[in-house]
Amino acid sequence: MKRIIVACGSGVATSQTVASKVAELCEQRGIMAEVEAVDIKSLDAHIKNCDLYISITPYVKEDYGVPTISGIPFLTGVGMEEAMKEVERILKVK
Amino acid sequence: MLKSIINYILDLGPAVFLPALMIIIGLIIRMKFRKAFTSALTLGVAFLGMSVVLDFMFSAIGPASEAFVKNTGLQLKAIDLGWTPLAAIAWAWPYAFLIFPIQIAINLIMLAFGWTNCLNVDMWNVWNKILTAVLVAGVTGSLPAAFIVAGIQVIFELKNADITQKQVYQITRIPGIALPHSMSMFAVVLAPLNRLLDFIPGLKNADVDAAKLKEKIGIFGENHVMGFIIGILIALFAKYDFKQTLTLGVQAATALTLFPMVAKLFMQALAPISDAAGEFMKKRFPGREFYIGLDWPFLAGQPELWVAAIILVPFILLMAVILPGNAVLPFGGIINICFVVPALIVTGKNLVRMVILGVITTPVFLYIATTFAPIITDLGKKVGTVEIPANQLITWNGMEMPVFRWVFSQGADIINGNFLGFAILVGWLAIYVWYYKHMKKREEIAEKELSANA
Repeated sequence: MKRIIVACGSGVATSQTVASKVAELCEQRGIMAEVEAVDIKSLDAHIKNCDLYISITPYVKEDYGVPTISGIPFLTGVGMEEAMKEVERILKVK
Repeated sequence: MLKSIINYILDLGPAVFLPALMIIIGLIIRMKFRKAFTSALTLGVAFLGMSVVLDFMFSAIGPASEAFVKNTGLQLKAIDLGWTPLAAIAWAWPYAFLIFPIQIAINLIMLAFGWTNCLNVDMWNVWNKILTAVLVAGVTGSLPAAFIVAGIQVIFELKNADITQKQVYQITRIPGIALPHSMSMFAVVLAPLNRLLDFIPGLKNADVDAAKLKEKIGIFGENHVMGFIIGILIALFAKYDFKQTLTLGVQAATALTLFPMVAKLFMQALAPISDAAGEFMKKRFPGREFYIGLDWPFLAGQPELWVAAIILVPFILLMAVILPGNAVLPFGGIINICFVVPALIVTGKNLVRMVILGVITTPVFLYIATTFAPIITDLGKKVGTVEIPANQLITWNGMEMPVFRWVFSQGADIINGNFLGFAILVGWLAIYVWYYKHMKKREEIAEKELSANA
């Protein structure tokens, strides 16, 4: 089981929106992954044990030490297909 | 007959009638029954889960706050719950779901006529309008007034997304999005104050390295740490002994950690509906250029936000104690997001200015939270999300756009002959006109800077 985390300002609304969306898309594609929404203020505690971090905020690639992609496409719907392919690629390699 | 049926249904409590409503809505938007059922049940779990955590919180903080009042003589009887329990209470308002079509319809009409360039797909914050409607209904006693003000709020939110889009882009560099969140309407108050700060020499370029500061004090922003500290402080004022003090600290930490965990269930339950609503809206305008309106957390990576919020905590606590007439006991809303987000935009990420503006406007938040406490408490009791102890009030200190809500609920009260309230509303609108022009100008400047760097 792969573990994906999504963070937002409270771990409640935006992150859970993205998490629900990604979980649904993973299920459709037969990807075994659990997607969890977390609080960005406590990100350090969560980032160590995940295979992929989906960031709602702008980020620098080397910031977290885990593969990171932007979560904005899952909110706007623009470029969501490409973002999902990236998710698939990252989870397969690991 | 119809009335008694409706009353019977409402009497079932939100943990039962809202899931039932949710299944019906789910089937209408063509969800599979299995999905509609699990979503609906999750909603019921979210409501009862929130009740459980709130009961726990009242059993711990309630007696402590009573002892606090007794020992200090300070009448801080309204516990600040923060936004997560407030959202639970608002969603339980019997007419809550009617706000969905209102927001969607107004947005589509404004897009069609070119009155906005923002397509707001953030369906979670429909609850902001629900809360406004609840407050307006509480002040005026009129349901139509509540819905009208909620509709007006939708318009202001979209216009605000329009007049901040480029400035927000300058901060985040994420293309194609805007911020229609109601919290940024507090900028109407902040922008003129920020303009006045221009006249203080030295402040124009005063700034500090927020990222470094955040590394040092960021831990205080974590829910359990902040909960622990506030629990300890309340216990000290309540003259608890050593063991009781530490226990209250951990109990308060528990409450603040569990609130968002339970609130997440609401989002899980509502995700399919908000998803479907978003899809529905996006499909309406193929080829039309617009910005997608999102909830605020795409700004959450800005270190200034958290540093300012944390620096303001001791000021909020201090003012809660010294301001005459304040009834708010700061707790769940102590990290005042609804201030720092508009402040970030208005000051253009200037930490010093954010803190100054925060200190100046903290009394506004406290007094309006005090004013609305009886209405919020009343709704909490009516919908039964919470068993509120007698003599205890609940409220939310860091509320989104407190001034807008207060001014519009007073203004709408003209239907009861409150002319003063209406006059205040007119005054606010005058400030808004200045604000609108000011922000338009800043958008032009932002655009020039952006194209110069492109």
